[in-house]
Amino acid sequence: MSNNSSKVGRWIAAGLALLGLAAVFYNLVIDNMPKGEIRQIANYTAWNKETLKIAETIPVQDGGRIKPLSTFGGFKMLSLHGARSMEIKDGSGKPVKITPIGWMMDTLFRPLLAIKLPTFRIDNSAVLEAIGVTVGNKRDRYSYADIEPGREKLIELAKSYEAIEKGKRDPVQDQLIALAYNFREYESLLGYFGFARTGVELRGSGKNGGPDQRADISAVMLTVPQIRESVAQTTAQGLPMDAHIQSLMEQVIDAANNAKFGIIILPPADPEEKIWFSAGNAIASSIGAAKQSPQLAIHDIKMLETTARAVEEDEGDFRTKLTTLRDDLVKRAEARGDYKHIALEVDFYRMNWFLNALAFYILASITALAMWTLGAGTAGRVLFWITLAATVTGLVLCIVPIVQRCIIMQRPPVGNLYDTIIFIAANVVLFSLIIEWMTRRRFALGIAPILGTLLIILARRFEVGDANDNMDPLVAVLNSNYWLTIHVLTITLGYAAGLLSAFLSFIYLLTRGLRLFDDDRDMRRFFTRAVYGMVCLTLFLALVGTVLGGIWANDSWGRFWGWDPKENGALLIVLWTLSILHARLGGYIKEWGLHFAAVFTGAVVTFSWWHVNFLNTGLHSYGFTTQKGTLWIFYGVILAILLFGVIVQALEKNRLGRKS
Amino acid sequence: MLGKIFDVLSGFGLATITLILLGLLTWFATLEQVDNGLYPTLNKYFATDWGHIFVLPELYINGKYVPVPPLPGGYFVCAVLLVNLILGGIIRIRKGWNHFGNLVAHFGIIFMLLGAGVTYHFSERGNMAVSEGESSNVAEDYFEYVVEVAEIKEGKVEQIHVIRGKDIDDLAAGNLRTFRLPDFPFDLEISGYLPNAVPVSATERAPDQGQLIADGYFLMEKPKPAKPEPAEQYTAACYARILPRDAGKSAPFILAGASFHPFSYRIQDRTFTVDMRKRLWPMPFTLTLNHFTAAFHAGTMRPSKFVSEVTRSESGGEAKVTIQMNEPMRYEGLTFFQASYGPPGAGPGEKMYSVFEVVRNPADQWPKYSLIIVAVGMFITFMIKLVSFLTAGSRKQRHV
Repeated sequence: MSNNSSKVGRWIAAGLALLGLAAVFYNLVIDNMPKGEIRQIANYTAWNKETLKIAETIPVQDGGRIKPLSTFGGFKMLSLHGARSMEIKDGSGKPVKITPIGWMMDTLFRPLLAIKLPTFRIDNSAVLEAIGVTVGNKRDRYSYADIEPGREKLIELAKSYEAIEKGKRDPVQDQLIALAYNFREYESLLGYFGFARTGVELRGSGKNGGPDQRADISAVMLTVPQIRESVAQTTAQGLPMDAHIQSLMEQVIDAANNAKFGIIILPPADPEEKIWFSAGNAIASSIGAAKQSPQLAIHDIKMLETTARAVEEDEGDFRTKLTTLRDDLVKRAEARGDYKHIALEVDFYRMNWFLNALAFYILASITALAMWTLGAGTAGRVLFWITLAATVTGLVLCIVPIVQRCIIMQRPPVGNLYDTIIFIAANVVLFSLIIEWMTRRRFALGIAPILGTLLIILARRFEVGDANDNMDPLVAVLNSNYWLTIHVLTITLGYAAGLLSAFLSFIYLLTRGLRLFDDDRDMRRFFTRAVYGMVCLTLFLALVGTVLGGIWANDSWGRFWGWDPKENGALLIVLWTLSILHARLGGYIKEWGLHFAAVFTGAVVTFSWWHVNFLNTGLHSYGFTTQKGTLWIFYGVILAILLFGVIVQALEKNRLGRKS
Repeated sequence: MLGKIFDVLSGFGLATITLILLGLLTWFATLEQVDNGLYPTLNKYFATDWGHIFVLPELYINGKYVPVPPLPGGYFVCAVLLVNLILGGIIRIRKGWNHFGNLVAHFGIIFMLLGAGVTYHFSERGNMAVSEGESSNVAEDYFEYVVEVAEIKEGKVEQIHVIRGKDIDDLAAGNLRTFRLPDFPFDLEISGYLPNAVPVSATERAPDQGQLIADGYFLMEKPKPAKPEPAEQYTAACYARILPRDAGKSAPFILAGASFHPFSYRIQDRTFTVDMRKRLWPMPFTLTLNHFTAAFHAGTMRPSKFVSEVTRSESGGEAKVTIQMNEPMRYEGLTFFQASYGPPGAGPGEKMYSVFEVVRNPADQWPKYSLIIVAVGMFITFMIKLVSFLTAGSRKQRHV
């Protein structure tokens, strides 16, 4: 009887798990699917791959560090578009997938095409209705040209909403303000090379009634000393400034202002000066408003003009100019020691490590399900080895990028919320593999890729929602590699251990509910021991990590304990695991109780890891995010698992009672 | 009977319950500090007086009030846990090599809690602000308001008598206390102490709770702002009267932390001032701020470094020290931390000031020592368990 029910249970479990996997797939597919109809953009041609390869490695100063243009474009695209890729159809109707660097290049160098790209992701069409723009679906993507008619209204409304205290605005008002900022930011990129495309108009230069001639900004910059002299002379004589000169100066100032923000790509001549220049800063320096050396500024502007203009002719020619520009900037950045890890970072994003890891974890999850369902035997053995190989490959594909990030950031792996997710994703898998090695029961092996899959999806989601470069440098108080290593890593490993113990117990309750191991008490005992071990490990790591945090706080703020929410969260894990262990020693909880308690550890860890960040108070103010709803869903799931466990326990008691 | 009491006090049941209670208290206090501010929340959950033997948490989930039964106060739970830890974790615990690690870990935790107690009762903290090129040898307490009575001779402070905050902070409306000042020709009567109040002109606004009007002003509690203000920004205030030895009482006057000038009083051709201010704390050495640097990550407003270069001088000589984030100066039992700086938005070349947090804590390094003890203890215990698990016979069986 029990054997039969065990078999049925196995298939039910496999079915449930497959359902879960299908949900994961659906989630991924939905995530990567273009929203709405794919747009066809007349005259659009995809960039040549070689051109993009050169563009990727152009250094940009942003967020307090020097990064490749591809990284800069990637996060700009995430914040505006909500994804790292965009699908359109080119002039001939052929589908084109635009990457961040391609999108960035369009924005900077082909603004007339860029304004037609569906760049702006709008989650609630009410935002656009408010500014009088015709809308499609509630959640859709729009181009700059779509939104532009409502521009004035957008800026006006955003200003009025900003006057409302944060927290009292409704979501549409918040989204409208965000859109206004994004829109202005995008404009600063679109118009960045405007100076190069149009130059300045030399009023009164047209001969015989012909149109006025145009001149390059760089050429005008060369004549600035003479212009100044002439202005000084006229002023000394008490005469008004010559109308032509005044017009010229106004155009130069406009050009400087239009290219002031956008991208900061020009390394300063002074090695002591940490702040780089934008094209606008370089133009401004010719009229004495910035610190760049005038000769270098003219050289830079000339180079930018030549490159930006070449795009109209032929891509091969443009690529040559772009290469010259890139090489010049790279050489200067290298001389300053600012270019050390750019190539590595370009490679990091090009490799898409975590997506590949995800693929292997998903594969391993499927083979693990098959392995569990088919049981022992040759097929089971083969599936075991496939699962193991895929899981280990996935793990390696997680560890390599984490190490690369450490090299790029020159700090230990965890310093912000995104770091914690990928670090936990790697360590949960590693812990599971260690448990597998110790128990050799194949249950921990199967759990490893499933948890890995879930956590990598979480990391991807978080990156999209946050849309901030997660390799930017840290604030002063966190800027300590010693403490980041010993405190932050320990506490994060504690989270990983806590989550794993919760998941192991969840699987235990599930298998017991489905009566999978009714005839195998040994297996249950192993589960229980593994959970017990993980609870002990959680306690050890959380306790040591928490106290180390206190010691760090004592060194940076002068107090060991400040009741900061993040500290309290860590303390909660310590207190909870301590009470589990003491309750177990006292005999108040046994096998069932231990698993219930371990499942609840998941909620405690979640509170500490995520929830305290939403409380918006305290000193650990990194990574405040807005999607609070997901947390409640997670707590709901934990509650449901506990309820399921209670029902299973009651049914089992009932059954045993009848038997006896 | 005694044996039974010992069993309960040293038992796992009490350990489990107190740990869970402490967890619940921490959780509620974490949520409550968002709306009510840290200081009042801590005072509510972890106060040491018998009035706080029970606390009633205020829980709001998504803005909705959720009723919660009262819980025992945090200080008392900690006290019970400490008793349980000593009786159960040290005395009653099973002895022998297998349990040696547990014993060590428990001992480490007790040491840590002792450290917390020593810090709570014996540590002092304040702050010292120094401008570039200037020196200071006093720190100011963060919270404690004191009443300072001084005699002024030829424009200089001659003699000071300080009435500590703990002696006046229980003098709420209706209570008064007389302070004898043997070195002065008068005594001082203090009443109506309010921890966070401002003097308000009675002509602008009538007293709403029948407050005493002194010299045209009365004390009004500051309204609670939407975002709770930190307790460091509280301004305490009280009423006072001078009681000359040879005559009757003076009219009542207001002493307020929020006022800029002290109350002055002349008697027998001598001048005295009475002032309410944060307690000043003399240092055994002088600190001169030579240079302060606030560095930001290039092109951003994200700070990368705050560095104060100081000279510490005392009778024995001088030393140049750098105090920065994560690297405090520890000297003669005092620790100086880089806490803040100003003026906000200072341009290049502007004279900066730096604020140090000053702490005297006899248990400063105890957490470090106790952590080592606890970690070693737990490591031994868990390793013994792991080894016994790994050497258990049935592990090798393969199964699905």
